[in-house]
Amino acid sequence: MSSEAITRPAENAARLKGDRLIDFGGLALTIVTLGFALMAIFPVYWAVVTSFKSETEVIASGIALWPSRINTEAYEHIWTNTNIGIWYINSFVTSALITAGVIVSSAGCAYALSQLDFPGRRLIYVLILACFMVPMQALIINHFVLMAQFKLLNSWAGIILPQLIVPVTIIVYKQFFDNVPREFREAAQMDGAGHFKTLFRIYLPMNWGITSALAIITFIGAWNSFLWPFLAATGEATMTVPVGITQVKDAYGIVYARQMASAVMAGLPVAVLYLIFQRRVTQAIMLSAGVKG
Amino acid sequence: MADIVLKDVSKSYGAVEVLERVNMHIRSGEFIVFLGPSGCGKSTLLRMIAGLEAVNAGEIHIGERRVDNLPPSQRGVAMVFQNYALYPHMSVRQNMSFGLENIGTEKGEIARRVDDAARMLEIGALLDRRPAQLSGGQRQRVAIGRAIVREPQAFLLDEPLSNLDAGLRVRTRVELAQLHQRIGTTMIFVTHDQTEAMTLASRIVVMNNRKVEQIGTPMEVYSRPASRFVAAFVGSPSMNFIPVTGIETGADGLRINVAGAQLATTIRQQPKDKGELTLGVRPESLRVAQDGAGDITGQIALVERLGDRTLVHVTLADGSNVVAEDEGKSTLAAGGPVSLKVDGTATHLFDAAGLAYHAD
Repeated sequence: MSSEAITRPAENAARLKGDRLIDFGGLALTIVTLGFALMAIFPVYWAVVTSFKSETEVIASGIALWPSRINTEAYEHIWTNTNIGIWYINSFVTSALITAGVIVSSAGCAYALSQLDFPGRRLIYVLILACFMVPMQALIINHFVLMAQFKLLNSWAGIILPQLIVPVTIIVYKQFFDNVPREFREAAQMDGAGHFKTLFRIYLPMNWGITSALAIITFIGAWNSFLWPFLAATGEATMTVPVGITQVKDAYGIVYARQMASAVMAGLPVAVLYLIFQRRVTQAIMLSAGVKG
Repeated sequence: MADIVLKDVSKSYGAVEVLERVNMHIRSGEFIVFLGPSGCGKSTLLRMIAGLEAVNAGEIHIGERRVDNLPPSQRGVAMVFQNYALYPHMSVRQNMSFGLENIGTEKGEIARRVDDAARMLEIGALLDRRPAQLSGGQRQRVAIGRAIVREPQAFLLDEPLSNLDAGLRVRTRVELAQLHQRIGTTMIFVTHDQTEAMTLASRIVVMNNRKVEQIGTPMEVYSRPASRFVAAFVGSPSMNFIPVTGIETGADGLRINVAGAQLATTIRQQPKDKGELTLGVRPESLRVAQDGAGDITGQIALVERLGDRTLVHVTLADGSNVVAEDEGKSTLAAGGPVSLKVDGTATHLFDAAGLAYHAD
């Protein structure tokens, strides 16, 4: 019998008596984790607090963890002197269309790779896997030239199209479809459903959790995307929020409160979305963790 | 309802042949059971009739139509899967309606058929539930209901009872037999359970090693097995096989020498291949002789008391092991000698190729 097994009854007896045993290892780990969490949240906190300070207070020496007076001038300035309303619309439309496009195309592609038998199926899958090895940045010049040739720069289509390539979503869907018992597809076949109906009426609704998780994480990714929209949208009318906020400048240099206010406004919709769908986002990260490598 | 005819149907996956020239004529309204061990090709054959597997060679006809090139939904058959394959996100009603919606059936007609099937299967109260909220038996009924609403020419059932516990399995078996009697539609049922086959089938198709070994009524298959495989596979406990050491022709039939004894049988046909012969006799035809004056003697190896009867495992003089029957109140014990009486009118002779010769 192991020593652990021998000591357990004693521990239990101690607990029953009301003696509390302190797990010092666990406590230390919790304190360290809490420290990291504070380090991660502090910049966000600082940005929010700074955005409510007056510029004088921002540049004053010393660290003020809370504004002496809540000042909304920075937000008023951003809202009235920039095109942030248009940027919001652009961000919302492009992110929503990217999300819809990625989900529909990835699910269709994954269904074909998982359920249909056609020549070159394995090769296509290997090529999709190989896409991981090529970072977005390496393709950006090709994308730019291609979009320029199609005259799609400074348009929603130009922002959207290169962002529809998301191999990880295909792989997550394929893994899910691979694990669906083949009898469901066969039952759908017996019921006279074609492949599209089988995909959209049987396979996807069978687990909306996966689709909603992938949709949320794709939407957040598209909303936060900076490099490609920055290159594809040079006119303010087509800029998305993350690109647009780089335009928030003052003739006399950087006004920190306004910079921070624009950053808060850019991140706010995503933060709200995250808070609402926190569990789904975590699920999506876990789903894709195994394949991201 | 329609006849189903299979003509020289073959199937292979690359170089691996899984079905070899299967011929069959299933009459309208029959309850046919495909029976055989795992891997014999019975499920593949069912799936070929359903249209879920392509036919490499041969023809399948349902009614007047040749169907082997038609998609599953156009063959006029409905299938019940082993794991039921009920769509988990749909209610029972939606599961049953889905197939009808796909072929453009009117909503009123769909509702009528679903309600009729639900009434017949006593699942009316479950129509708004999801499959996860149902028990195994209820899921089974819904799967059958989904098939019934399509009003098919034939039902194809792929081991539909195998996921149920023993008690429910027996009850569902009875209900399935009653359902067949009520609706009278052709049913093809795949199983490896010979009890299910014997109790449900109008005719049993015994399959082994890619081929059909025998097609016959349950009693034909049991009493006059076409091969040694069928004799061994059908019946529980299995038929006893005793090596034959010699054959003589008697007045009523062959006199067969086994394990140091000569048995009088009513087998009249001389085997064509007289090489290695085996006598087959079922346990109920090999009974313990109460007076000790049996045809053959041996040593009791094991006694199994089943209540209504006792199974006695006996080692014969030639080392063969057989199972004989005794009455329920048997006082026999392992280790003692026993004398067995053979019913010569219920014996079978098998040649080296497995071909059978039966007592008349």
